[in-house]
Amino acid sequence: MKSFTILLKNELKLNLRNMNMVIFAILMPLVILLIFGFIYGNKPAAEGEAYTFMEKSFSALCCISICSGGLMGLPLLVSEYRERKILKRFQVTPVSPTKLLTVEFAIYILYSAASMLLLFPVAALFWQVRLHGSLTLFLGCWLLTMLSTLSLGLLVGGIAKNQKTASVIACLLYFPMLFFSGITVPLEVMPDIVQKIVLCMPLTQGMQLMQTAFLGLPINNSLLTFAFLSIVTLLCFGSAVKYFKWE
Amino acid sequence: MQTVIKVEQLSKAYNGQPVLDRLCISVQAGTVFGLLGANGAGKSTAIECILGVKSADGGKVFLLGHHPQKERRQLFQKVGVQFQQGDFQPEIRLAELCEETACLYEAPADWQKLCAQFGLADKLKQTIKSLSGGERQKLFIVLALIPNPRLVFLDELTTGLDAKARREVWQILAKLKSNGLTIFLTSHFMDEVEVLCDEICILHKGQAVFYGTVEQAKQACNCTKFEEAYLALSGEEAAI
Repeated sequence: MKSFTILLKNELKLNLRNMNMVIFAILMPLVILLIFGFIYGNKPAAEGEAYTFMEKSFSALCCISICSGGLMGLPLLVSEYRERKILKRFQVTPVSPTKLLTVEFAIYILYSAASMLLLFPVAALFWQVRLHGSLTLFLGCWLLTMLSTLSLGLLVGGIAKNQKTASVIACLLYFPMLFFSGITVPLEVMPDIVQKIVLCMPLTQGMQLMQTAFLGLPINNSLLTFAFLSIVTLLCFGSAVKYFKWE
Repeated sequence: MQTVIKVEQLSKAYNGQPVLDRLCISVQAGTVFGLLGANGAGKSTAIECILGVKSADGGKVFLLGHHPQKERRQLFQKVGVQFQQGDFQPEIRLAELCEETACLYEAPADWQKLCAQFGLADKLKQTIKSLSGGERQKLFIVLALIPNPRLVFLDELTTGLDAKARREVWQILAKLKSNGLTIFLTSHFMDEVEVLCDEICILHKGQAVFYGTVEQAKQACNCTKFEEAYLALSGEEAAI
C-alpha cells in the first residue's frame, strides 16, 4: 500500500508537470461550461420543462474530462511508457502489472473527480444548477461511466503495438465521443445512423444514465445500461491486465 | 559455495538467425562475472534472456534458485539491474526516480546515501534529462543498488564515464563484492574486466568462444596483455 501511494504521488506530479491533462480534463470542461452558461443562462431545457438547459448539460460536461483522460491521456501514457522502455525497467523490479496499471488508472480518476468538483460550484453559483435526483445515484452513475471509459482506454494502451497505433485508436475513440456522443453537441440533432453507432459507446450510455440521475427522472429502464457498463469495465480492465505487455 | 546464476544451454534466434547458441554460465556467490564480445555478439540478448525479459527458445535459467519468469516478483526483490538503454519518465527528477524505485522493495537501501556515495547528492532536484552522460550512468548504477541486492546485472556499466569516475565505480564495486554481492557485467573496457572479473565468457556470434579466468585467457593465446588475448579469442583481431 505504501508503494502504491508513493507511485501515485510521483506519477501524478509528473502528469501535472506535463500540463496536457490540466488543459484537456480540467480547463476545457470549465471553458465549455462558461460558454454554455453565457449562451443559455437560466433558460429551461425545452418549453415547459422543469429543469434548465444547464442542468441538462451538467452530466455531459462532467464527461468531457472522463473522455479526455480515459480515451486520450491514459492510452497514450501507457503506450508511451512501453515504447520508451520505462515498463521494461519496471519489469526487473518486484512491482506487479496490476499495481502499475491501477496507479495510472487512479490518476485519471482524480482528474475526473477534480473536474466535477470544480464544475458543480461554478454552475451552481452562476446559473443556479442543482441536483434534482439522488446524490448517491448520480455519483454511482458517474463512477460506473468513468470506470468503463477508463478501462476501455487502459485496454487500448495495453494492447496497442506502439505509441502511434495507440494514438490513432485514441483519436478514433476520442473525437467521435467528444462531438457525437451528446457531450458537446446534443445527440438529438445527429443523423439517425450516427445516433445508433454512438449509442453503443459506453460513454454515451453512461452520460445518459448520469443525466437521468441528475435530473431525477425515472431510472427504471436503465438496468440493462448498468449491466452493459459493468461488463465493459470488467472485460476491458481484465483484458488489459491479462494481455499486458512490458515491451 | 552457492551458485547464484545457473544458465544451461540457453538459445535464442531472431527470424531464424541464431543470436545465442547453447550458452552455459555458472556464477558463484560473491564473484564478478564478465560477459564480453563485440557489439552484436549477443551480450544484451543474453542478459535479457537470463533475466526473463525476453523468452529464450531453449535452455534453462535459475537466478538465486528462482525461475526468472515464473518467480519474477520474489526474484527481483533481491536482484538489481542496469540496462544499457535505460529510459525514464520525461521530466522526472533524480530524487523522484530514486524514491519511486526504492518504494518497490521490501528492504531497500538508503538511496540518499547511495547518491552521496556516487557524488550525486547535489543533483537530487535536477531532472534526469539535465544530467551529464556520466552522471546518468552513475545514477543507473545507484538504481541497480537500491534493492540492496544479492546479485546485480550491469550492462556496459562504465560507458560514458571519465577515467576518474570509472576508477571510483570500480572501488565501490570491489567493496560491494567483498560484502558478498555477486556481479554480472558486460564491458568494452578490458582494463576494467581485468581489475574486476573473477571469470569471463567471450561471445562471438552468439557462441561462447572462451570461458575461464583472465589469466587463462592470456595463457590460451600466449599474450601478456589481456586486451590482445580478448581480440584474438573474440575473433576481432583479423578486423584490425
